[in-house]
Amino acid sequence: MTPPRTDLLQGTLDVLILKTLFAEPMHGWGISQRIQQLSEDVLQVNQGSLYPALYRLESRGWIRSSWGSSENNRRAKFYELTRAGRKQLAEERESWERFVAAVGRVLEAT
Amino acid sequence: MKSRIAAAFRAFFRRESLEREMDEEMRFHIEMETRKNLGRGMTPEQASTEALRGFGGLDRHKEEGRDASGIPWLESFSQDTRIALRGLKRNPAYALASIATLALGIGANVAVFSVVHAVFLQELPYGGGDRLVRLRQDAPAAGIEDAAFSPVEVADYRSQTRTLQGVVEYHSMSFILLGQTQPERVRTGVVSADFFDVFRVKPLLGRLFLPGEDAHGAEPVLLLSYDYWMKNCGGDPHIVGRAFRMNDKIHTVVGVLPPIPPYPDENDVFMPTSACPFRGGAAASNNRNARMVNVFGRLKPEVRLADVDRDLAVIAGKLSAAFPRDYPGKASGFTVHGIPLTRELTQRARPTFLILLATVALVLLLACANVANLTLARHLRRHREIALRSALGAGRGRLARQMLTESTVLSVVGGVLGLALAAGVLRLLVAFAARFTPRAGEIRIDAPVLLFALAISIATGIAFGLVPALSRQDNLAAALQESGRSTLGSSRYGLRQALIVVQVAVSFMLLIGAGLMLKSLWKLQAVDPGFDVQRVETMRVALNFSKYDNADKRRAFFRRLLDDLAGRPGVDSLGVVGTLPLNQDGGPQNNSFEIEGRPTPSPDLRPQADFQQVSPDYFRTIRAPLAAGRGILASDRPETPKIAVINQTMARHLWPSESPIERRITFDEGKSWITIVGIVGDIRQNGLDRVPGDQAYVALDQYPSLAGSILVRSALSPQAVIGLVRSAVRTIDPDQPVDQFRTLDELRANALASPRLTSILLAAFAALALLITSAGIAGVIAFSVTERTQEFGIRLALGAHPRQVRAMVLRQGMTMVAIGLALGFLGAHLLARLMSGLLFEVRATDPPTFLAMSAILAAVAAAACLGPARQATAVDPMTALRAS
Repeated sequence: MTPPRTDLLQGTLDVLILKTLFAEPMHGWGISQRIQQLSEDVLQVNQGSLYPALYRLESRGWIRSSWGSSENNRRAKFYELTRAGRKQLAEERESWERFVAAVGRVLEAT
Repeated sequence: MKSRIAAAFRAFFRRESLEREMDEEMRFHIEMETRKNLGRGMTPEQASTEALRGFGGLDRHKEEGRDASGIPWLESFSQDTRIALRGLKRNPAYALASIATLALGIGANVAVFSVVHAVFLQELPYGGGDRLVRLRQDAPAAGIEDAAFSPVEVADYRSQTRTLQGVVEYHSMSFILLGQTQPERVRTGVVSADFFDVFRVKPLLGRLFLPGEDAHGAEPVLLLSYDYWMKNCGGDPHIVGRAFRMNDKIHTVVGVLPPIPPYPDENDVFMPTSACPFRGGAAASNNRNARMVNVFGRLKPEVRLADVDRDLAVIAGKLSAAFPRDYPGKASGFTVHGIPLTRELTQRARPTFLILLATVALVLLLACANVANLTLARHLRRHREIALRSALGAGRGRLARQMLTESTVLSVVGGVLGLALAAGVLRLLVAFAARFTPRAGEIRIDAPVLLFALAISIATGIAFGLVPALSRQDNLAAALQESGRSTLGSSRYGLRQALIVVQVAVSFMLLIGAGLMLKSLWKLQAVDPGFDVQRVETMRVALNFSKYDNADKRRAFFRRLLDDLAGRPGVDSLGVVGTLPLNQDGGPQNNSFEIEGRPTPSPDLRPQADFQQVSPDYFRTIRAPLAAGRGILASDRPETPKIAVINQTMARHLWPSESPIERRITFDEGKSWITIVGIVGDIRQNGLDRVPGDQAYVALDQYPSLAGSILVRSALSPQAVIGLVRSAVRTIDPDQPVDQFRTLDELRANALASPRLTSILLAAFAALALLITSAGIAGVIAFSVTERTQEFGIRLALGAHPRQVRAMVLRQGMTMVAIGLALGFLGAHLLARLMSGLLFEVRATDPPTFLAMSAILAAVAAAACLGPARQATAVDPMTALRAS
């Protein structure tokens, strides 16, 4: 049985990508798998938004790409976090937590 | 921001490798996904289908990927351009028709704009030219219009003005210049020493006049105009210091002027006032009534035109109070005021070029509508291609952008051709503009004109590209199905009809403009000048002022010349007149006089007429018929009573109920009397379009003049006549030049030239508009006929008469034409108001013209509908029905 899937909130994909790349450089497919896995299949990454997001992040200088070989020895494009990307991740994380806390306070108010 | 632009450029220049990488990356993704699916136990087909489905439209992802990586504008622009060029190459007929239409539309606008820019928008080529004014004095009630000033008055205004810095005078004379290979008559501007300082002109060579060089007794000096220096002195760089003999004095060249507008006249050289024998004479310099010069001034800083007029009114008031005999009274409405030089130089060109500007703007509008229509038709034909691209994931915005790119590519190509076209006709245009303004020499295709061409090209592309781009509301599914055709067409068809309505309206306006102008020209051509222009050669002799310094010498010259030429074989008759008829430079030179037995209460209210000195055979030579009495005879000598012949207008005006013959008039308050001996038919003295005023002719022998035009009626060639006159003049006085050779016919043609050229231009534009519009109508109707093939087939099958079907098609076309005509009618009324200044004896709302043009347009439109209408009835019902 597949668990219920939640569509990604607008704008959260960027921070998830940054977070995923925080650990190690990864290719696009790997990123989508990792997000799915870490969210225990709750978050489904739409491929259609993944690549545009990657190119957008790259053009902003938060990640950079290089070609390497994949685990099965295929040529694949790997993305890694830049210094600016790390800073961006910290900022986005902070604002995400603020947002979650705020939503939580509203929902729990009596 | 900067780094993003840099990234965009980087991305743009490595866009091909980027494209490959994107492709490879996405394939890798799908491969991995497939592999994963296999691992879950799917069959290979299932696995790859599932992976592809999960990924979605590859093209769209790539498109979005491109957008996200910062390439979009640059990349897609160059891509769009490539797609556009490819598309246009596939459809050369469309591309050529569009480009040709646009080239004409844009070219016409660029050409007219180059004139408008140079003449009306650019600053005058004098330093601070917008601060210069010309003074004029008028007394409308006394018939005085733009009177000249006397040197004494110039001195008064110069010393009393508080708003003008520098008041300078100018007049123009013809002198004979000796020192070149042969005697030359040079048009000489006679000016105050500080004239060019006030105009802020810097000399090209040498210097300007120095203060004091216009003082009495100063050494005569000359400034050469740029054109004279180039043409007659070969641009000699060592010309400064050269001496010429003029008026029996040595004149030294002190400088050469830069190219400036030939204003107030086309002068060859300039001299200070003291060097002019006419102006320098004691009579002229002390007589307040010796009004012979123009006056110019420069506004002091901070001063406005209204201040100048007030200042001048104060001075004029003081002068007329101090010298009541020399000024018209209060009743005459006497005023003195300043006219900005900018207006002086451009005023006459304004109505013509305003009309041309409106015309070319309309032509461009029409071109836009036509190309938009062609584009719509083209999009209809390839709607399936577009629908397919849209189904494959090309966004709506992207498609619209691509259409705009295509239209802009077309219009820019059209613009480049149009610019070439404008450059090609520039010389003709300069010659045309020179008829209206001295600024024509400044017309050129320079940076602002190029900028205008670019702007108008891009704006045009966007304008006609936007219409089809915005009208894209296709139902994708319908478009992809074969039967989607008719539903798709309907909204576009309406738009196309609207465009045709616009085209018809614009064409009608252009037709009205051309029609009015042609009718006006036709009326002007039909004007009887009052004489016979065939076979008469004319030329001018202006005697040397200092040599022929009294009446006897002048009389002797002309008498001898006429006697010498009279008997020559081939010469039918010849005469002399002070100023040739159809003379368009300025109005009549009116003199006031009194009629015996009719004392006038005040000098302001005296009758006035233009007086011409003529030789006995003048009327016979130009074949102007005598209406009563006798002409001027050889027996009217200085010692016999003074006589005059008047024209019919003057006879009717001043002697409405009696015969003027044997009546007497006087110029000098009765000291001498002139008897009227005859009445001659009206002659158009001041242009074909000016109704003759009161005109009198006196005997050249009794009032000898310094300059006259010689007219020779002869069967000989003009060259032979010129040779004859030249040799005759040379025998009398070898230093005497003869010039301005023109036949009377040329004179008349010249008077018609500006309206004729304007008519030709407007007619050409209107014809073009008619052609484009009729092609547009035919195209739209043909399209709708094809769309309705089935319907017509059914109608015919059910027994409709072919005539009925034809009438249906025709009605459809003519409905558009009727709406267009109604709109055009309104527009034409607005346009016509602009035209009224150009028209001669035709009202701007002339009903016959409006009627005739409507008929022409309707007939052409009906003819355009006829072809498709015939096609509609040629349909074989069976084929039509099977086609579904």
